[in-house]
Amino acid sequence: MSWQRLRTLLRREARASLRDPFTIGILVAVPLLAMILFGYVLSTEVRGLRLAVLDRDASAASRRLLADIRATGAFRIVPVRSRGDIERGLVDGRIGGGLVVPPGFGRDLARGRIPEVLAIYDGAEAVLAGNAEAWLRAIVAATGATLATDGPLPPRGSPAVVTSALFNPTLDGVPFMVSGTFGFVLSFLAVLITAVAIVNERLAGTFEQLQVTPATTLEILLGKLLPMGAIFAIDIALMMLAAGLLLGVWPAAHAFFFWSVSALYVLTTLAMGLIFSATSATAAEAVQKTVLFSIPIVQLSGFAFPIRNMPLPLQWVAECLPATHYIRFSRAVYLRGAGPLELWPELLVLALFGALQVGVALRTMATRA
Amino acid sequence: MSPGLRQRLAAILAIAWREATVLRHDRGFVSMIVAQPIIMLLLYGYGLSNTPANVPWAVLDRSQTAPSRRLVREIERSGYFLPPTTIASYDQGHDLLRRGRALAVLVVPPSFRRDLQDGQPRVQLLLDGSDPLSAARVGGYIAQIAHAFGAGPRTREAPLPDTWTAGPIALRQRFAFNPRLADRDFFLATLVGMLLTNLCFSASSLGIVGERETGSYEQTLALPVSAIEIVLGKLLPLVALSYLLFAGTLLAQGLLFDFWPRGSLVALLLLTLPFVLASLAIGVFVSSLAHTSAQAVFITVFFIMPSFVLSGIMFPYEFMPDAIRPIGGLLPLRWYQIALRRLYVRGGDLADVLLPMAAMLAIFGVLLLAIRWQLRPRLG
Repeated sequence: MSWQRLRTLLRREARASLRDPFTIGILVAVPLLAMILFGYVLSTEVRGLRLAVLDRDASAASRRLLADIRATGAFRIVPVRSRGDIERGLVDGRIGGGLVVPPGFGRDLARGRIPEVLAIYDGAEAVLAGNAEAWLRAIVAATGATLATDGPLPPRGSPAVVTSALFNPTLDGVPFMVSGTFGFVLSFLAVLITAVAIVNERLAGTFEQLQVTPATTLEILLGKLLPMGAIFAIDIALMMLAAGLLLGVWPAAHAFFFWSVSALYVLTTLAMGLIFSATSATAAEAVQKTVLFSIPIVQLSGFAFPIRNMPLPLQWVAECLPATHYIRFSRAVYLRGAGPLELWPELLVLALFGALQVGVALRTMATRA
Repeated sequence: MSPGLRQRLAAILAIAWREATVLRHDRGFVSMIVAQPIIMLLLYGYGLSNTPANVPWAVLDRSQTAPSRRLVREIERSGYFLPPTTIASYDQGHDLLRRGRALAVLVVPPSFRRDLQDGQPRVQLLLDGSDPLSAARVGGYIAQIAHAFGAGPRTREAPLPDTWTAGPIALRQRFAFNPRLADRDFFLATLVGMLLTNLCFSASSLGIVGERETGSYEQTLALPVSAIEIVLGKLLPLVALSYLLFAGTLLAQGLLFDFWPRGSLVALLLLTLPFVLASLAIGVFVSSLAHTSAQAVFITVFFIMPSFVLSGIMFPYEFMPDAIRPIGGLLPLRWYQIALRRLYVRGGDLADVLLPMAAMLAIFGVLLLAIRWQLRPRLG
């Protein structure tokens, strides 16, 4: 290993890259695109969900309930005339749910009997239905409490829950997705780019040419990987800026700490890319391998689905993935403003798994060289 | 059949045969086609879910009375939660939330029992907003349990029944098509769309660029066939493969998870053709833009990622901002997933999916024109 040779290789790589604006463009554009896409798509807020309402009572009380539902903005009320309308609307997807207010709703309330309101959700859209359910339950509970106190009944005395969400008072989905997207980009997109770039170099024959020079395999690969890692490190900074300027999400604290740990995590990315490329003969094969392994990795890492909701064996698998620990770290810093003091166990695990992966990559490379 | 047409068909079939032979011998491709559906089926079938489970939470019980303990027990019994951590101060609660060791902290005030008798009880709930989806649902559940708490013993028997007694109004709820609201069904219904997208995009885009690099595309161009015939010949075996994948996924979902399509099977089969054609056409179009396979990969990813995100197979597209929602309409996967949910889960028939089919055919038509223009014979 000679620093001089490595420097020469790095200079060569920089020149070659500058002559290839397409690749540079991709390296910068894809992560930014991912950030913007994911930043916008997930929301916990139910907004304007079409709710078919069959009001069989049409009393002051039922109108009050509907007005309360409408006032939240979560539901757009579509009046219907029969249960059949609701069922049909659910099949063709015109409505996201239905609500049936029974006849005598207002009268029952006034007399202290408990009227039964029926809510039907479109179970085909499970995520949406789950959120809508939580919202509607809360609205009905609140309206019920008000109507009962307005009426002749004494308060029934069920505890009111005063809820406040820390770190993200409006339960906005954007910061959640933004912080996860760093993990997605570094564990999937960047791995893919690395793998393809290395295989391509091999196919083009540049590796063989370089191997007849005094440079060792390690130097040649480092000459290729280091500039790439540098670009990914810049990408992280750009993504942080894009998230901040376009989506309004900045790390809650410790921005530089976040960037440095992420830049170190890039080593794991490069290692994965190296493993996939070393075991593939063509670019297509490298892509297939990366997609095959990385998509499950991203799915298990808690990027979109909380790990605690998985069955136990899958939770163990998830705990063994560096991506899991990176995403956990990223969420903690971005949303909860956690710093090195709180996060050191996570960082330790991350470093251990990262070192393991880099070790495996170097071994694979050595055996293939 | 005119001789000209017959000759064209023969040319297309000959190219299709050659293409099928090439694909069959591509081991990486074959193993991906087999392994990916299995991995995804297992992940979606058994693993991934948005429904809160094993939720860690903490209780700051300043009342320490029978009713406060009963409330905690009822929340715990709802089935979403782990046994609570008992804490002694707010600081401890904040610390747990900050470290991610608790998703919710319930604070019961010292006067809880007296308040309950006065009819004005109040508890406080602190949620970890860094996991908004889970926090929103957990907050809803706890609020609901608390509302039911005052309603007396009637609701204490069965945890989470269909009927929630929300104070003075009972809310009976039903999830149409998916009574237990399994996220599994949400993903399985469109899994085949995800798998077909991967297959179609990667196979057609990498295939053609690879051939260009090795020079066999130019050799094929020298044949007495037009560019569009070459493209069709290349696509034919992939369409067949897509149907194979479709059938395999359908059977595996049915046998493993008892998840069979509720609607018309004929409509499902018909619907898949325009989707596969449009997706393959995107792949071909991508490869006609790219010069090297590396470029093809990158451009393909550029298409796959928005497809998955914007189509609504992973996140409901109803959640998306109004400015972004229509962009998804340009993607065949958006229409395919809408139609799949109607046929697979809601039990619709052909009439329910005519619009998505027309949209996918339109996308295919436009792409075909674009490809024809891109692939006009030229060497260099």
